[in-house]
Amino acid sequence: MRKEPVLFFSPIRLRRSVACLTCALVASACDRTRTPRATALELDDFADTVRTDTRALRIVSLSPVTTEILFALGAGNRVVGRTHWDLYPDAARAVTDVGNGMQPNVEAVLGLRPDLVVLYASNANRGAAKQLHTAGIATLAVRMDHIADFRRTVILLARAIGDTPAGNRLADSVERSVGAVRARPRPAVPPTVFWFIWESPLYTIGRNSFMSELVEVAGARNIFADLDAVSPQVTREEIVKRNPDFILTGPENAPKLRASPAWQAVPAVRAGRILVVDTTLVGRPGVRLGEAARHLRALVLHDTLR
Amino acid sequence: MRPRVWFVLVCGVLLAALAGLALGPVRLSPADAWAALWGAGDTNAVAIVRTLRLPRIALGLVVGAGLGMSGAALQATLRNALAEPYLLGVSGGAAVGAVLGVTLHLTASWVQPLAAFIGAAASVTLVLLVARAAGARGDPRVLLMAGVVVGAFANAAIMVLLAGAPDETVRGAIWWMMGSLGDATWTGTRWVALYVGAGGALVLAMAREIELLSLGEDPAAALGVEVERATRRVYLIASLLAAVTVAGAGLVGFVGLMVPAIVRALGARTVRSTIAGAAIAGGALVVAADVMARVIASPAELPLGAVTALIGVPFFLVRLRRMA
Amino acid sequence: MILFDDVVLRYPRAPEPAVRGVTLDVSRGTLTAIVGPNGSGKSTLVRALLGRLVPERGRIVLDGVPLETLARRDVARRVAIVPQREEPVFPLLVRDFIALGRFAFGGVWSSETADDRVAVERAAERAGAAPYLARRTDELSGGEWQRVRIARALSQSGDALVLDEPTAFLDIGHEMGVFELLDTLAREGRAVLLVSHQLNLVARFATRIVLLHRGALAAIGAPEDVMRGDQLERVYEWPIVISRDPAVGAPVLVPLRGRAPR
Repeated sequence: MRKEPVLFFSPIRLRRSVACLTCALVASACDRTRTPRATALELDDFADTVRTDTRALRIVSLSPVTTEILFALGAGNRVVGRTHWDLYPDAARAVTDVGNGMQPNVEAVLGLRPDLVVLYASNANRGAAKQLHTAGIATLAVRMDHIADFRRTVILLARAIGDTPAGNRLADSVERSVGAVRARPRPAVPPTVFWFIWESPLYTIGRNSFMSELVEVAGARNIFADLDAVSPQVTREEIVKRNPDFILTGPENAPKLRASPAWQAVPAVRAGRILVVDTTLVGRPGVRLGEAARHLRALVLHDTLR
Repeated sequence: MRPRVWFVLVCGVLLAALAGLALGPVRLSPADAWAALWGAGDTNAVAIVRTLRLPRIALGLVVGAGLGMSGAALQATLRNALAEPYLLGVSGGAAVGAVLGVTLHLTASWVQPLAAFIGAAASVTLVLLVARAAGARGDPRVLLMAGVVVGAFANAAIMVLLAGAPDETVRGAIWWMMGSLGDATWTGTRWVALYVGAGGALVLAMAREIELLSLGEDPAAALGVEVERATRRVYLIASLLAAVTVAGAGLVGFVGLMVPAIVRALGARTVRSTIAGAAIAGGALVVAADVMARVIASPAELPLGAVTALIGVPFFLVRLRRMA
Repeated sequence: MILFDDVVLRYPRAPEPAVRGVTLDVSRGTLTAIVGPNGSGKSTLVRALLGRLVPERGRIVLDGVPLETLARRDVARRVAIVPQREEPVFPLLVRDFIALGRFAFGGVWSSETADDRVAVERAAERAGAAPYLARRTDELSGGEWQRVRIARALSQSGDALVLDEPTAFLDIGHEMGVFELLDTLAREGRAVLLVSHQLNLVARFATRIVLLHRGALAAIGAPEDVMRGDQLERVYEWPIVISRDPAVGAPVLVPLRGRAPR
């Protein structure tokens, strides 16, 4: 079995990591007699310490993205639990469904006797992470708001399964395919889009969402790219004011938009410029980011690559 | 004195409506807003004014009228200046009814107010039973406590109904429970207006009886009112008015508390003029609060219920102090 | 015109009846006063007339018609009742307040008729409330407030008037004013029924006194017959002597000092 005692530092968390490292080194020095192996530490997106010197064999993955990454890394056979929404790749459907990924059912997770639980690093999941620690189960909390976070997430997961080269290969390939779309010629005046996520309250995506970044990669511009929130709440009136060229939305929302009298105030809706997006492809910053960017570019600029 | 009251109220509602047309994330001058209302000027402005702002104002007017009349009738009947549908848990019960209706797929524009009405009628009955069990239906504090208890129960019931729902539905339901005019459509507004109109006609027809009930049960009986029956009817009509507003705009609190007090302060004395005045003033208040909800945190929108609560709670405290 | 026929009244869930078999006839042109210690059932009889309490046994009859067969509006047109306490939460103009007595005569939407206006003005005049018509009910003194309430009862233009302690909290002048008014109303032909603690005034004005003791009739008759020292001592459980009013010779009750209350 190949062991990889690696330390990973995020620049923001550098100081805390050093502190932890010092403690850990002292601790491991004291424990040397009991633990002959050197202890390896990792900080996840909850800033929790994670041991990565063991290869996880029974993994419960509580977010669609991490599930598809684990499968892409060739560790699909070690995934023993997933959420209700993890349906890609097809092989993932065979894995036991434990329900929600946010505020997961910890008992159901424990029932699968995992040695690693991968969580989405949202505040709603802190309680679950604590409970799992108490139960002696290792957790890895990851958060992906930006396209750039993909590499970091993949590497974390790759280390957890003990196969860093596979992680590097996967990250390289995805970044390459995103870069290929980014390199396409850009129109002088990029078309503007409004991304319709949810009605009542009305949500869209802001600058700090990978979906906004995908729009830019595809050669268009998100009309709410000036807002910091990942998913800001906006008003219809503001949309009329910013007057997007296109509305992007999922297949289930498009008919609602066309039928709603209030939405007719938005010129793009009146003119029928509603682009139906494959939300299962574009809605998650996973292994198909490049495909997602190509899909958006084809929709908005009718430019099909390959 | 009378004409002055009506003059002030009508001016208030016109001002609020004009502000509702002109203000928002997109600033329009009153002149531009007026032109856009009649379809003239910039097409965007026309779209904003006619398809977005106008239905909101219409819904705000009828929702406010319903809440104002419901509050005025409840205050007089319960002889309690702090009574109002939200604090009495009536609106909460209406919300349970509406959510239950949605989970049973009863979502037609005309069914939702009825589902809400059943919930509201059940909760007003519960509040009065709790208050009677405490032996003090007339005591404002006991009554409000009963309302808070029933309101908490209603919240719990809604959480149970939403237990299996996806995150987004829950988020939508919570947003709706905070009150909003954002989903105003002409179809929905027409139904709400119809029910509020019917409830308003009924409550005004009972105005003289309500006036007598406001003297107390014994004087009312002495003057010829069938007290139990009349009281029951007033509660039912007030529940209908409140429930319809909940179906139309979610939980909007404190309007029923503030509006009758404002109308009385302007000089309305009889129950009939207080109820009629509260219908107008309620519309003005809700439309004005909705303007604030749209403008304060633009481009985001605040829940309407949050705005009315921010205004209403200090108002409530002042009144409570005056009563003590 | 008002007949209590062997009436037994019990409050919900009370172990004992509050009124146990009272028979009493109040006829036109008389002033009948119900007296008795606290809790003897005086106000309970008024509540029964208000329809707030239904007799467990016996019945109440108005001019030959059983009370329970009448709608409250019909009762209100025959009998005007001024309940014991009334505290308005939302003040009204005195004029509008008196006009509420006309409720039993109006339809749902009908506004005030000429009849109503005349009745209101005459009632205010009779009760001496005419000077305050334009004031608000929360601006009245105790004496003025009682006059306004009596005015409202008079605007009901019925033949009977029932008042529950109308002079509580009033000073001597206002109290006498109310009693003189009730006396006049009775002499004009109305049936007046009065609940009062003012035995000495009652003895001077009433045609008949009803003495209640623990829900039952202890005595009924002319003031001379009811105002007997031994009888009142037993009912009020306090030593009492009866003296004479120097002006008209009516009996005057004097409670003695010197024994601790039980």
